[in-house]
Amino acid sequence: MKNIIKLISVLLISLSVSFSSANASNGVFKLSHDLGFGKDTNLDAITKGRLFQVVIMTQNRLVRKNLKGVTSAELATDWSGNADATEWTFNLRKGVKFHDGSDFDAEDVKYSLMRVKDPDIGSPAKKSMSSVTDIEVVDSHTVKMKLNTSFADFPLLLTDYRLRMIPSGSGDTIGKTGIGTGPFIVEKFDAEGTTILKANPNYWEGAPKVAEVHVIAIPDGEARVQALLTGQIDMNRYVPFTQKKIFDGNSKFNVSVIPTGNWRGMVMRTDTAPFDNPKVRKAVRLAVDRQELVDLVMGGAATVACDTPVAPSDQYRLNMKCPQDIKKAKKLLKEAGYPNGIEMVIHVSTKEPTWPTIGEVLQQQFAKAGIKAEVKMTPSKSYWKETWMKKAVSMTRWNERPADSILHEAYHSGAKWNESFYKSASFDKNLADARGELNFNKRKKAYQNAQKTLWEEAGTMIPYHVSKLVVTSSRVKNLDEIEFFSIRWHTLSVD
Amino acid sequence: MEINKISEEKQKNILLKVLEVLKTMASRPSGFIGLCILVFHILLAFLSPYLAPYDYKAIDPTLMLQAPSSEYWFGTDSLGRDVFTRTIMGGRTALTITFFGSLIALLWGGLLGIFCGLVGGKIDDVVMRIVDAFLSIPWILAMLLIVSLLGTSIEVLIPALGFFYGKGIVRVARAATHDVIAKDFIISARARGHSNMSIIWNEIIPNVRDAILVEGAMRWSWMLLGFSSLSFLGFGVSPPTPDWGLMISNARGLMSFAYWAVIAPIVGLSSLIIGINLTADAFAKALGIDRSTKAPV
Repeated sequence: MKNIIKLISVLLISLSVSFSSANASNGVFKLSHDLGFGKDTNLDAITKGRLFQVVIMTQNRLVRKNLKGVTSAELATDWSGNADATEWTFNLRKGVKFHDGSDFDAEDVKYSLMRVKDPDIGSPAKKSMSSVTDIEVVDSHTVKMKLNTSFADFPLLLTDYRLRMIPSGSGDTIGKTGIGTGPFIVEKFDAEGTTILKANPNYWEGAPKVAEVHVIAIPDGEARVQALLTGQIDMNRYVPFTQKKIFDGNSKFNVSVIPTGNWRGMVMRTDTAPFDNPKVRKAVRLAVDRQELVDLVMGGAATVACDTPVAPSDQYRLNMKCPQDIKKAKKLLKEAGYPNGIEMVIHVSTKEPTWPTIGEVLQQQFAKAGIKAEVKMTPSKSYWKETWMKKAVSMTRWNERPADSILHEAYHSGAKWNESFYKSASFDKNLADARGELNFNKRKKAYQNAQKTLWEEAGTMIPYHVSKLVVTSSRVKNLDEIEFFSIRWHTLSVD
Repeated sequence: MEINKISEEKQKNILLKVLEVLKTMASRPSGFIGLCILVFHILLAFLSPYLAPYDYKAIDPTLMLQAPSSEYWFGTDSLGRDVFTRTIMGGRTALTITFFGSLIALLWGGLLGIFCGLVGGKIDDVVMRIVDAFLSIPWILAMLLIVSLLGTSIEVLIPALGFFYGKGIVRVARAATHDVIAKDFIISARARGHSNMSIIWNEIIPNVRDAILVEGAMRWSWMLLGFSSLSFLGFGVSPPTPDWGLMISNARGLMSFAYWAVIAPIVGLSSLIIGINLTADAFAKALGIDRSTKAPV
């Protein structure tokens, strides 16, 4: 009898040990970032130099998109608007703690969102929060946001990947600590080397499956592909489609193609001759064969865009056709006073591996319309600081944002990241009208009118929205096949 | 009439000497191979526009990454361009830029080295310390800085490469001059009251010329490699101009499945460098220069 009891005890202990070890976080997941902002790189989500690969794992938003792309609860459990959509009340999740042990509450929400509007910080996300006039703390877990206009899609705006919750009063240190309520805790922040994150055992959705995440700085796109091939990193979400064949059929890697609202483009500064003339900009855009670019650069895995930054899956996207029209392009150039065409220097870098190829293809396409383009390489490490928004023509790339956010952020006259220095009163008015319009169809029309204006006169040529080729090491399991900012990092595991 | 005769005689002698050197170079197997490779590349650089079967810049999505075939001998690249066409035209710019760059390096490096070797003293000390300081700067960093600021046009690249590759020649020319200035004919020229310029031109250059020329030939192959490295990094020639360094850079990510796009430019570049090296070695031996000491023997 004693032996039987002993045996059962041993079995029970073994079971409990194996059960606890199965639930424990283990393994290291490694990914890279491009050190886009050099020494300005930090962990404050609302600044220009935010290292989003870290921030999305350490901090949560109030609202996020679920696996189907629908707006859903994160740190807010539910929300409701008043009759004219000028006031929105959010109920907050209870029992959530920050990494420093403090409780998450309504004061933190007020602090986190109102500091986005602080002119001293100069956040690029400021435009997204411009409609919020005040945030009232109703009780410890309820906030009421007051807007200066009706905004029927306001919760959608809060899915912006930068609107993260941080502890009240932590603004001065957040850039280095990265403290949030997310599944991982910053153990060591080294922007130019390896940043180490540890699993947060008290994460409100459950402890992460991996023990550590290493975020490694690798500025060059080709070097990132090589790092994946040699096992230095476990995931690369920027593999060019021309290199898909390297990974296809290789049992060491998992390959997935994910349609996204991320886009690549060529920016012409509208305050610089000859691009200060809308006819010249339109001529340049008409000279582009977008489908050929999709085929040559993306191996067909992209959705043609007619210079709209709004994602293909977005309800407000304007779908139109914009085939290459060399004859019209030449005519517009002639009308603009350039009968012999124009010359331009397209500044590229390997910051985005496809930019040099896009430049080469554009060079050939432009030549047909009498536009002589030189493709000039610039250093990748300082691209965002020294080239983008500095040179007359440069390449750009943006991640997916809701229609209202991207239209405001990249084109509104007062936007910090208005990369083409585009200013249009009618465009700004369409955006303002859309925000205030409660009727969905009318709101949609206003957003689409804004996109039509972009097609006529914008400074940014957007040929396509990319489908993302995501390659992971085969030891990575349970990685959600969705856009970067909606991934549930706590469910990811490694062998 | 007499002067013309002397001049003709002099030209004839130079021609005879060049032919003799070439003959000596070709008499060694390595020299012969080197000369053949170099002549082949130079001829290709001149004739490639007439030999190319396709337009080097014509892109075509339907022809992306085609394997070598009877139609496309070296296959096509990721933009559907003919790799054979781009390979045979790929050496033109590199050869032109590095040839003139080497000439500039030879001229300023050689003359400054001879001058320092002759005058000696404080001027020599100061100049050589400046040259040492420049030698301590990695050339690739300095070149990247220059092309970032001034662009990648030929007008920028030739003098910049010429300057950075001339630093080493200064040292060789100075060392060779030191060997010569102790000789009696220099002392006698000084005693006759000849100026420094006259001594450099009439006495020193004829005696150190061979050593400097051999050093220049070697610098040419290093400069070629350096220029291709710049192109590889995207700071050499601008697209769509075919260039081996740029072709290797564009195709390196495709190496595992489209090897043809990268092998052809690698063979082109490495064969030219080997050709120049073998030729320079044979040139040195033909002139009786021991390259291990870089001074006349």
